[in-house]
Amino acid sequence: MKEKKYVMGNTAIARGALEAGVRVVAGYPGTPATEIVDECLGVPGVHVEWANNEKVAFELCTGASLCHVRALPVMKHNGTNYVTDFLMHVNFTGIRGGLVLISADDPGGLSSQNEEDTRILVHQYAHLPIFDPSGPSEAKAMIKEAFELSEKTELVFCLRPVTRVCHARGIIEFDDLPKNLPPAHYEPDRERFIMSAVEMPQFGGIKRPQIRHRWLNEKQALLEKIMEESLYNWTEEGQGKVGLIGCGMGYTWIKEAEQLMGAKLPLMKLGTLPLPRKKLLEFVKGLEKVVVFEETEPFVEGLCKRIFQEEKINVEVLGRSGFLPSDGELSLQAVLEGVEKAAPKVKVRKPETPAMDIHIPIRTRTQCVGCNYRGILNALKQTVRKHKGVVAGDIGCHDAGSFRPLELQSTIYCMGSSVPMASGMVLSGLNRPIFAFIGDSTFYHNGILGLINAANNKINVNVILGENTVTAMTGFQPHPGTGKTLAGEKTTPVNVPKLAESLGVSYRVVNPYDIKQCREALEAAVKEEGPSLVVSSMPCFLLSTRQGKKVFEPREVRVDAEKCTGCMICINDFGCPAISFDKTKKKVSIDPMICVGCGLCVDVCQKGAIV
Amino acid sequence: MKMDVVISGVGGQGNIFASLVISQYAMNKNLNVLGAETIGAAQRGGAVVSHIRMSDGEIYSPIISRGQADLLIGMEYVELMRHMRLLNPKGMYLLNAMKIPTVLNNMALDEYPATEDILKAIRKYCPNGYVVEASAAAKKLGNIQMTNVVMLGALVKTAPFFEYNEMKLLVAANSPTRFKEANVKGFEEGYTLLK
Repeated sequence: MKEKKYVMGNTAIARGALEAGVRVVAGYPGTPATEIVDECLGVPGVHVEWANNEKVAFELCTGASLCHVRALPVMKHNGTNYVTDFLMHVNFTGIRGGLVLISADDPGGLSSQNEEDTRILVHQYAHLPIFDPSGPSEAKAMIKEAFELSEKTELVFCLRPVTRVCHARGIIEFDDLPKNLPPAHYEPDRERFIMSAVEMPQFGGIKRPQIRHRWLNEKQALLEKIMEESLYNWTEEGQGKVGLIGCGMGYTWIKEAEQLMGAKLPLMKLGTLPLPRKKLLEFVKGLEKVVVFEETEPFVEGLCKRIFQEEKINVEVLGRSGFLPSDGELSLQAVLEGVEKAAPKVKVRKPETPAMDIHIPIRTRTQCVGCNYRGILNALKQTVRKHKGVVAGDIGCHDAGSFRPLELQSTIYCMGSSVPMASGMVLSGLNRPIFAFIGDSTFYHNGILGLINAANNKINVNVILGENTVTAMTGFQPHPGTGKTLAGEKTTPVNVPKLAESLGVSYRVVNPYDIKQCREALEAAVKEEGPSLVVSSMPCFLLSTRQGKKVFEPREVRVDAEKCTGCMICINDFGCPAISFDKTKKKVSIDPMICVGCGLCVDVCQKGAIV
Repeated sequence: MKMDVVISGVGGQGNIFASLVISQYAMNKNLNVLGAETIGAAQRGGAVVSHIRMSDGEIYSPIISRGQADLLIGMEYVELMRHMRLLNPKGMYLLNAMKIPTVLNNMALDEYPATEDILKAIRKYCPNGYVVEASAAAKKLGNIQMTNVVMLGALVKTAPFFEYNEMKLLVAANSPTRFKEANVKGFEEGYTLLK
């Protein structure tokens, strides 16, 4: 029975996978992909899990696929980077049960540490096919077809939705879920699934990696044939010698722009990689130039240039290699400006609005009011100041400690890099205490390896583990320290003290709502030689509140204006959104509408003015 | 017929609930609906915005571009201003009279503009709009989290596109059981706030 629902793009993608008969879904949380995993939960016979990192998720899904079961690894672009090593093997072996990789990109870095285009990694580097959806309903259709084609070609297929597809909402048709999926089975095929430098007699002793590479190269012709017939590529008629090419969201923006253009230009919509070469050549017949609108790198633009050169066709190709902005998200404005430049004869009506003649303050994110990270961050800030320390940071809620006002962490790169980077700072000979601050989800992702390395090499680094027992930033996904699975089943959480003991790393467990205790532990860690671990352990305040659990006894907090000297330590070293400084009175005050009564600021104030 | 709505606020103010109610209303009217949210990292006290596009024709982009919005709902002064230029100056705004200072405002390193200056700038941009004491009303009813439903009530009063009874039913239907009664009350209160 078909049913129409208004849902998020990620829900549409999850539904498509379920309708395609996916049996194993695994991912690591990351905006904008997170909800795809959550939304797969609850269908009998479908295993859905949060793996401790993307590589684990992908490898697990491949194992299922080799048993002829359909599987879905889900991640954002950073995760796909992390999976690259495995990707560069599974592309050579191929798969059995349909395997569709979701690699969600975040143009503009709206919720990411970087901005990148994973089409290059998956298609150019790993030579695997990609669908690039232009919206939620196309994404749903694409993922269903990707499972079919993955099995038909024996290759991993990739769906690459961008944030504006993942977090768009649209009306989606829900079809029935399949019943009676075929059972798993396994037959060894060592010539495919043992990736090793072994000689292959039937190929005159050529080593296996080269033969598998050949196998993958030979698949490309089949892929090109499939994409030539794909319904996700089409052309629309128009006038003039300037054509527009829209890939994924690029097409969506062109259709918006058309409503403001004096003429309809010839248009080609592309949603697949490899490109449909014949269709493309047909499209550019009689055109002088084409403008390619794509997220984010000039990738299809480059492929077009190559194809036209091979075919000796003289069509100018413009796009994001300088003609259009080379960074950030596409927009209606960018398309209209591009059309105006490429086809000056076409009248373009750019919507202009009056300027807002007033200063509009920028709002940066911070930790929640009541967050326990604020306690340990304040203690660390004081310790770092006292000892002229340096802090390497990591991904997660605590990263806001690197913004104003705290400006505590000096580096943030990617998942788990804090501990190795801090270790390197120690080894540089820099004679200052070095700290690494890492959240627990990131620690289990791969940060743990940095700690093992520091222990193994006796590196004098001070690691602070912010243990809030959940992946908080992406919306409270469980991890190996949570004690339950995504489906709510109880598990044994990792015992960090025992782990530290087994590594020979000294450890101190502190309550982040007790700043004095935190400071003492940090002080002791600094004085000690060799790697040390401070475990700042307390469940996430926001999640606990939603679950009706208390992580502190709320108290009424106010500023004693008599005692407040306006030193601003409670703002500069603490940064709670409820506390503000009044310039004229030179005093701080606490907004009772915002304060949740954690009481941390009482200990932060050195003058006893917060009571 | 088309109606493009932007709802802007600060993480935790209940944008998404309001956007879902509006979207469902349009769906019940058999309109096409497409929308977009900022979710993820921005939730933690950052600026958040929802776009809802409704039309009896085709809609392509889920994002509302400059000057396209027919209605801008601001849950907070500065956040309304941040997205003001999405609003067609001939459209309408609805502003909750609530100030949430930024981190830099708190540090006295950045000035939160004075209310009269804000209102002057907004009115210069778009003459048609209303300021509602929604958060104050919600707090009076016992929970500031009800600001969003109070705003929906005020919206129905000011924008004839929305019908009172249908919107009230949707507010109830989208509320968790334990908040249902309170949310409906908040909605009713919002309807009476503007004369």
